[in-house]
Amino acid sequence: MSSKNSILSALSQSALTAHPMPNIEVEVTPQPLVETFAASLATVAGELHQYGGLVALQAKVDELMAQNLQVLSLVEGVSGNRQVPSTAHELADIDYAILAGELGVAENGAIWVSQTQHRVTPFICENLILALPEKALVANMHQAVNQVSLAQGALGVFVAGPSKTADIEQALVVGAHGACSLQVYLY
Amino acid sequence: MKIALFIPCLVNQMMPDVAIATLNLLEKLGHQVIFPQGQTCCGQPMTNSGCFDEAKKTTLKLLNAFKGVECDAIVCPAASCLVAAKENFHEFDSSKEAQEVISKLYELTEFLHDVAPIDGFVRPINKKISLQMSCHGIRMLNLATPTEEMGKQRFNKVEAVLGKIAGLEIVYPARIDECCGFGGTFAVDEGAVSAKMGKDKAQAHAATGAQYAVGFDPSCLLHLDGMIRRQLLPIETRHIAQVINDAL
Amino acid sequence: MTELYSASGSKVHAHKADIFCRDETRVDWHSKALWLLREKRDRAAASIPEWEQLRQLGSELKLHTLTHLTDYLQQFEQQCQANGIVVHWAKDGQEHNQIVLNILAKHQVKRLVKSKSMLTEECHMNPFLEQHGIEVVDTDLGERIIQLANMPPSHIVVPAIHMKKQEVGELFHQQLGTKKGESDPLYLTRAARAHLREKFLTADAAMTGVNMAIADQGAVVVCTNEGNADMGANLPKLQLHSMGIDKVVPNMDAAGILLRTLARNATGQPITTYSSFYRGPQQDGEMHVIIVDNGRTEMMKDKILAESLKCIRCGGCLNTCPVYRRSGGYSYNYTIPGPIGIAVGAKEDSTHSIPWACTLCGSCTYVCPTKVPLDKIIAHHRRLKAESKALPYGKSGYMPLVGRFMASDTMMNTSMSAARLALRVLPGSLLKPFSGAWGKYRELPVAPESSFASWYAKNRSR
Repeated sequence: MSSKNSILSALSQSALTAHPMPNIEVEVTPQPLVETFAASLATVAGELHQYGGLVALQAKVDELMAQNLQVLSLVEGVSGNRQVPSTAHELADIDYAILAGELGVAENGAIWVSQTQHRVTPFICENLILALPEKALVANMHQAVNQVSLAQGALGVFVAGPSKTADIEQALVVGAHGACSLQVYLY
Repeated sequence: MKIALFIPCLVNQMMPDVAIATLNLLEKLGHQVIFPQGQTCCGQPMTNSGCFDEAKKTTLKLLNAFKGVECDAIVCPAASCLVAAKENFHEFDSSKEAQEVISKLYELTEFLHDVAPIDGFVRPINKKISLQMSCHGIRMLNLATPTEEMGKQRFNKVEAVLGKIAGLEIVYPARIDECCGFGGTFAVDEGAVSAKMGKDKAQAHAATGAQYAVGFDPSCLLHLDGMIRRQLLPIETRHIAQVINDAL
Repeated sequence: MTELYSASGSKVHAHKADIFCRDETRVDWHSKALWLLREKRDRAAASIPEWEQLRQLGSELKLHTLTHLTDYLQQFEQQCQANGIVVHWAKDGQEHNQIVLNILAKHQVKRLVKSKSMLTEECHMNPFLEQHGIEVVDTDLGERIIQLANMPPSHIVVPAIHMKKQEVGELFHQQLGTKKGESDPLYLTRAARAHLREKFLTADAAMTGVNMAIADQGAVVVCTNEGNADMGANLPKLQLHSMGIDKVVPNMDAAGILLRTLARNATGQPITTYSSFYRGPQQDGEMHVIIVDNGRTEMMKDKILAESLKCIRCGGCLNTCPVYRRSGGYSYNYTIPGPIGIAVGAKEDSTHSIPWACTLCGSCTYVCPTKVPLDKIIAHHRRLKAESKALPYGKSGYMPLVGRFMASDTMMNTSMSAARLALRVLPGSLLKPFSGAWGKYRELPVAPESSFASWYAKNRSR
C-alpha cells in the first residue's frame, strides 16, 4: 500500500465523531477604518503617510534617488532608477522597492501584496514602500481573506510592518531578514 | 436548608478548624447541618496519578457515606476535592442514587453565592487579605473568570461573598490566578518546581502587605503555609470559612 | 545546561527540573521572560471583543477538519497538483527525510536554507541530511543561534529563550567573528542578517514548515516575523514545505480565523509580519509539499488524544505554564516542551514522567486559541501510563497502598493520629529527615490535636 493509502486508511479508524463546519460569522466592530489602520500599522512598526498620495510618494522617491540610492518601482505612475532585473538575485542591492498594496487590514495593519515575477522582491529590498488605495481598506481578516485572490504561481502575502525579531532576550529588533523598514502611502 | 457536610480527609485530619468554622457559619446562617459518618478520601491522589483502580474503593466508600442521606445540599470547604469527588463519583457509579449525590455537591463559596446567598454579616473585620485564587475552583468550578478568559461578563464569586464583610480590604497577589504549585502528589514528585512555585506565590501574597492569604482550597493553603513559615514571611494563611465565620 | 539537553540524559522530568531550579536567579529570569509573553497575549486578546468567539470557531473548524480529514487531504492534494505543486506522503519521520533527500539529491542541492518547522525537528531531519553531505542552514534567528550552539530548541516559538544575550554574543564572536564582549541584540541581529543573507543568496533549495494548508485553494500559508521563510522560498528555484496531516484547513475563511488568533496568542502581535500564501512554484521553479503522519493517525484513534491535533503551535500554553517556566524546555524528554509537548510527546518519553510535569492547573486550556483540552489530555496520559504499568516516581508501589489506606477507617485514623502526635511533640529537626520532599522545601504543618470527626463526636453528636 502506498503511504498515502495507508495514511488515509488509518484515518478511517479515527475515534472522533463528525463535527460540522461552524458558521463563520463574526460581527465587525465599528471603527473608523483609516484611524484604526494607522494605529495598527504603528504597532507593527510601519509608518503611514496618510496625505499627499502618489505625488508625495514620487517626491520621496526623487529624494532617495538624489541620495544615489537604488530604487525599484513597480507602481504605475511612480518611477525609480532601477529596472526589473532578469534574475531575482540581482535584487540584492535594491535599497527601496515601491510596490502596490492591494488591500489593507485595519485590525492589524497588514497589507496584501502579490508578486508573480521575482517573488522575493518585497523581502529582499532593504526598505519597502507600499502604495495603498484608501478605498482598499477593510476592517478585519474575515473580510480580507474573502477579497484577496490567489493567482496560480504567485505569492500572496500579508505584510504587517518591517521584518523584525525578538529572539535575543525578547528585545525587539526591527530589520531581521526581510525589509528593515516599511512605509505606506495612502492614496 | 438541610446541609450535609463533606469534609475531605485532609481537612478532617490536618485542618479541623476549617471544618469547624464551616459548620459554625452554616449554623449561624440558620441552616441545619449534619455530618454523615464514614467519609474518607475522594480518590484524587490516585486518579490524578492515573491510578483509577486504586481510587475506586475509597471513592465509593465516600459516595456511600452520602447515598440516601436526606439533605438539600452537600457542602464542602475544599474546591479541589469537590471537583475530584464529582468526577470520580461519576466515573465509578452511574446509578441514579450517585447522580442524586452529585447534583447536590457544592463547594462552600459556590453554595454561599449561588444556592443560599449569604447576607447579614454583623462583625466587621478590619484586615487586609490577599485572595488565593486556586486553580480548580477558578477553572473547573467557575468561582471566578480566569485571567486567560476574555470578554465583558467577568465575575468573582469569592470576592462577591467576602466583599460584603465590613472593613475587609481585599487585594490580590501579582499573577492573580497562577498556580501555587501544590498539585497533589506534584508537591513531592516535582519537589523543586513545586517549591519554587510555592515560594513565588507566598512572596506575591506577602508583597501585598496583607495580614492573611485567604483561600477556598485547604491543600493549597497547607502548602503555602509551609512555604510562608520556611521563608519567615509576615503573612498567615486563613480559609474563607474562618473569615466568614468571624464576621457572622 | 549541557547536561539538560544532551541526548544521553533521558532522566525523569523532576530530575532535570531540579537541576534547572538550582540557579534561582536564572529561573526567575526565564519565568519572567515568558510571563511577559503571556501578558502581551492577554492585552492582544483583550483588544478583540470577539476573542472567545474566535477561540470557539478555531476549535470547531479544526475539529471539523480533523473529522473530515480524508476528504480535505485529498482535496488539498488535487488542488495542489492543479497548481503545479508536487505532493508527497510520508508515514513517518524516516520516510519524510528520505523523500526530502531524494528531491534534494535529484537537484544536486548542496545547501538548504530552512525556516522554522517543528515537524522537521520532530523528524530529526537536519542530522539526517547533514549525514548525506547537505548543509542545512536554519535561518530563523533563534533557530540559527541554537544551531550554532548545537542545541535543540527550548521553546516552539522563541527557540533560544533560555539563552542570555551575553551567551549569544560569545557564541557569535566564536562562530561569526563578531566583536568580543558585544551583546547588544541590535548589533547581534544585524550580524546574523549579514551572515544569513549570504546563505540565502547562495542556497540551492529552501524548506519551510507550514502553518496552514488550505484545502480548496491548494495553497500553503507560512507565517514568520523575520521574513526568513520568504527570503528562502523565493530565491532558489526549489522550494519544499513539510506539514503534518493536522495542518490542513478547509478554506480561506478558516485561515482568516486562525490568522487572527495565532500571533496574538503567541507574542501579542496582531499578526505576524509576513503571512505568505504559496500557491504553486515560481517561474521555472519546483514546489514540493510533503504531508506527514508520524504518529498522528495513531493519536486520532484515541478520542481524547485526538484533540491535541487541533493545536496551531502558537506556544501560548508554554508561556502560561507555571511548570515550564520554572523547569525549562530541556526538561521534557521531547522535542516540543510544555503542555502541548506532554500532550503529543508523552508516548515517546521513555522515563514516563512528563505527564506528571503538570499541576493540572488548567491555565493552558484556557489560553489555547483552539481550545485543546490540554489538562484533560495530560490527565489522560497519566491514566494510559498507569494502565500500561509505566508509572514514574515509585507510584506503582505506593499508589495501591494509599488507595487501601484511604479506604480503611482504622488504618487512616490510627496512623493519622500518630502522625499528628509526632508533628506536635517531636522537634522539627528530628522530623525533617523523615518528611521527604515536603519538608525539604517547606515547614511541616502545625498539627491539630484531633481530627474534625473526633471533635464532632465529642461536641456535636447526639
